[in-house]
Amino acid sequence: MDVQSFQELILRLQTFWAERGCVVQQPYDLEVGAGTMHPDTFLRVLGPEPWNAAYVQPSRRPADARYGENPFRLGKHYQLQVILKPSPKDVQAVYIDSLRALGIDLEIHDLRFEEDNWEAPTLGAWGVGWQVMLDGMEITQFTYFQQAGGIELEPISAEITYGLERITMFLGLSRSVYDIEWVPGGVDYGLVRHQDEVEFSKYYFEVADVEFLKQRFDGHEAEAKRCLEAGLVLPAYECALKCSHLFNVMDARGAVSVTERVALIKRVRNLSVACAHEYVASRERLGFPLLAKPRESGLGEVAQNARD
Amino acid sequence: MPGTEFLLEVRCEEIPARMLQPAIQELATRLFEELMALNLAPSEMETGFTPRRLILMLKGLDSQERDRDEELIGPPVKAAFDGEGRPTRAAEGFARKCGVEVGALQRLETDKGEYLAATRRVVGRPVSEVLAQVVPPIVEGLSWAKTMRWGVGEGPWVRPIHGLVALCDGEVVPCSVFDVQSSNETCGHLVLSPRSFAVRNIADYRRKIARRQIVMRFEERRQRLQDQLEKAAEVLGGGLVRDPELLDRLTAICEIPGIVVGRFDPAFLSLPREVLITSLRDHQSALMLESKGMLLPNFITVMDRPDDPKGRVQAGNEWVVAARLEDARFFFNEDRKTSLKQRRQRLDSLTFHAKLGSYAEKTRRITELTEEICESLGWRHEVEEAITASGLLKVDLTSEMVKEFTSLQGIVGGLYAEREEYPTAVWQAIYDQYLPASTEDSMPRGRVGQATALADRIDTLVGMFGLGLIPSGSRDPFGLRRAGQGVIRIVLEAELPLDLDLIAGKSVLLYGDLLDRSGKEILADLRAFLQDRVRHLLGLRGYAYDTIEAALAVGSSNLPELLARVDAVHTVREEPDFLSVVLAAKRIANILKEAPDHDLEDAVLKEPAEQDLHSAAEALRADIDRAEKRGDYETCLRDIAKLSEPLERFFVEVLVMDENRELRNNRIALLQRIQRMISRTARLTEVVVDKSEHRDRGESKSTG
Repeated sequence: MDVQSFQELILRLQTFWAERGCVVQQPYDLEVGAGTMHPDTFLRVLGPEPWNAAYVQPSRRPADARYGENPFRLGKHYQLQVILKPSPKDVQAVYIDSLRALGIDLEIHDLRFEEDNWEAPTLGAWGVGWQVMLDGMEITQFTYFQQAGGIELEPISAEITYGLERITMFLGLSRSVYDIEWVPGGVDYGLVRHQDEVEFSKYYFEVADVEFLKQRFDGHEAEAKRCLEAGLVLPAYECALKCSHLFNVMDARGAVSVTERVALIKRVRNLSVACAHEYVASRERLGFPLLAKPRESGLGEVAQNARD
Repeated sequence: MPGTEFLLEVRCEEIPARMLQPAIQELATRLFEELMALNLAPSEMETGFTPRRLILMLKGLDSQERDRDEELIGPPVKAAFDGEGRPTRAAEGFARKCGVEVGALQRLETDKGEYLAATRRVVGRPVSEVLAQVVPPIVEGLSWAKTMRWGVGEGPWVRPIHGLVALCDGEVVPCSVFDVQSSNETCGHLVLSPRSFAVRNIADYRRKIARRQIVMRFEERRQRLQDQLEKAAEVLGGGLVRDPELLDRLTAICEIPGIVVGRFDPAFLSLPREVLITSLRDHQSALMLESKGMLLPNFITVMDRPDDPKGRVQAGNEWVVAARLEDARFFFNEDRKTSLKQRRQRLDSLTFHAKLGSYAEKTRRITELTEEICESLGWRHEVEEAITASGLLKVDLTSEMVKEFTSLQGIVGGLYAEREEYPTAVWQAIYDQYLPASTEDSMPRGRVGQATALADRIDTLVGMFGLGLIPSGSRDPFGLRRAGQGVIRIVLEAELPLDLDLIAGKSVLLYGDLLDRSGKEILADLRAFLQDRVRHLLGLRGYAYDTIEAALAVGSSNLPELLARVDAVHTVREEPDFLSVVLAAKRIANILKEAPDHDLEDAVLKEPAEQDLHSAAEALRADIDRAEKRGDYETCLRDIAKLSEPLERFFVEVLVMDENRELRNNRIALLQRIQRMISRTARLTEVVVDKSEHRDRGESKSTG
């Protein structure tokens, strides 16, 4: 039986990946544009340490906000992010198993992997992969990370990003995101999130104080640099994330000219790149702790479990 | 005997559709060439590919390389023996290497002296051993548009590799590609038949792949899709809107060719046809159907499976298509709320290029340039509509529709202008502004479209050249080659007697002080650049490069005239008299290389041959003048060819470099006169003559 509700989808995916040795992490407690920006992806993919994690990440895209009126577009949506480092040999097969775990009967659906390469200028990152299409609908982004923070990666991580609303909508062929069930037979997505969409749309497009946002951007940028000087990479990265989100809000507010845009993206990118380099250095100072005991922590077992 | 067969299958994660065709070609070609070089070329070679496998099937291979003799060259004889004729260490070492006694070594005479040498019999390797060596580097070294690494750093290749079947007459050819070992095992379809299975040989492989409904040959897959598509179209009472490129792409994304037919709400048919087709093509890779020029509310796309047992694939695709068309309708309705005229203001905040200003400024320049073009072509009736069109040309860049479907730029503006009831010539000019986009593409309809399309491109070219952004090698980020090609094609095909130098000069002025470089530099570079486009385009039309050069050398700023010259050279260039004059022209050019100008005095012409040449040339002069004026270049060249005999005689009988200075200078003057006359229509010295052939003919003539 297909998954019918939003929360059931989350629970099943989390369970599936937990059973395959992933650290089930929680959403990052800051505004981010995508699960990739969570430090457990962006920073963990750097350096030699193995890492396998799965988590839900509410992702904010201010420019996509639609006052809760568009049945498909949201200013905030939820991703389930899986990061597997190094990418297991059979990662594609395991991913397909995860779809089966959602009750999707692949004997009656059409599954295809279409080229879709990913690039994030604010992160100095790019990867190669596909959009996974189920019956012509994009349900997942599948990416082999090649570079992050301007650093060539080795080992390579596989990133699997499930679009949770889309998958739920699609499985129920629902006409509006707000109609999908959050709880099976109970509260729906609209009841949980609609006010949020309406208010934040109004905030992003009409109310946000551009001057205030700019000040905060400058402030967080300065703070990030101070943190980096003090060798505190995680707080520095939080500041970079703040800058990234503030930029997105200013952009949605229509307050960023073309030239400013390029300049602001470059400033965020510089911070991410600096954080990436500092992160690798900080892990090295710690002796790359995750290299030591991959087995005990259950890492590196993904492929093995999947075959069982 | 059928010979040895070889089966190669490289199995991997999904290769991007656009890269498959070139990859299999490279793989096949490179393996074939390697085997050829070893005298092992197969008598049959077949290829196949799906997104997840590259397949080569070779038949009629020799089972073994032929034994062959290899000649080894050792030290020079001088160094091989000492003063007493005893072999040195060098000689002994060489003999050991060859496995013979020194006495058995041969001697070999070369340009550099005498060397010791030996012939060694090399026993040919079994073909499977050869394959084990040559196949892995070819597979690993395939050139991809973009590569990646995976795992702990495997690769680089286009996507992770999973399996390698390498079977020579049923035996596994032991080799590996990255960390993947060859075997006789492969897998079926990713979802429907993922289990691995062993294959024995090519026939067995074919059978087992086919049993899993996988069609490994691209052409067969496309044919099967085509058949299904046509059948489905017939059932729906329509025909497919042709899109061979999309069909190729769809063929490349499946292993099992199946089709899905879907419906959408007929209310969406109120959207413009171009928008519907593009939305379905770009977002859903779906084809549309039409009947009597009207679209049907159906679409067809491809799935990677044979059937749709529960209708889920259809339902899913319909769901996505409905959402996409809903979006398109939303953009369309939003856009229509603002007229094109109102939208013009928004061009102020749309940057064309940071240094060259906004699209509003570009629009002002285009309008002025359009006017200039119309004026210089004498298009008085069109100028008003051309000005209107040029003002609206770029407005659709502010529309939601173009932001969503960039491939529809221009088209959307044209459609909106049509709905706002602008004159036909105006909306068509906007619609057609990016035509021709390729060498086969159609042209803008009508003069208004041609004038605006030219103005837009020349403005872009001059602006970018003015900043020094000139395409080099494969780098052409602003698509300037395409723009240049467009200019040349429009002028050539519409036969516009337009002086491009003049228009480009005007464009430089319109930029004011925005450009970094001087007008002179810009125009010189642009002229050379456009000449290259002309060369390319005329080359595609089948003219020889030297024909083109000969015509280009006398000027290229008026293209229809240039084309007429090229055509004339092309027509007469094989005629013996003309070729003879070409050779004479080359000879004259050599003689005159550094000679200063001299005046001709008829009275000093002494020899009959020089007198004849002079009178023959003067007799033709008026005729050539007239023909040149009316653009009849063929007649010009034929007249020039009439000088072939007098010229040949002149060179046989007359010595130009006579000791007598007066005679010499006068002969130089005569040749200078002749040179000016025969180089006017085309620079004959550019024409390449197959000398051996012509010399024979020339000699027989002079002796006869």
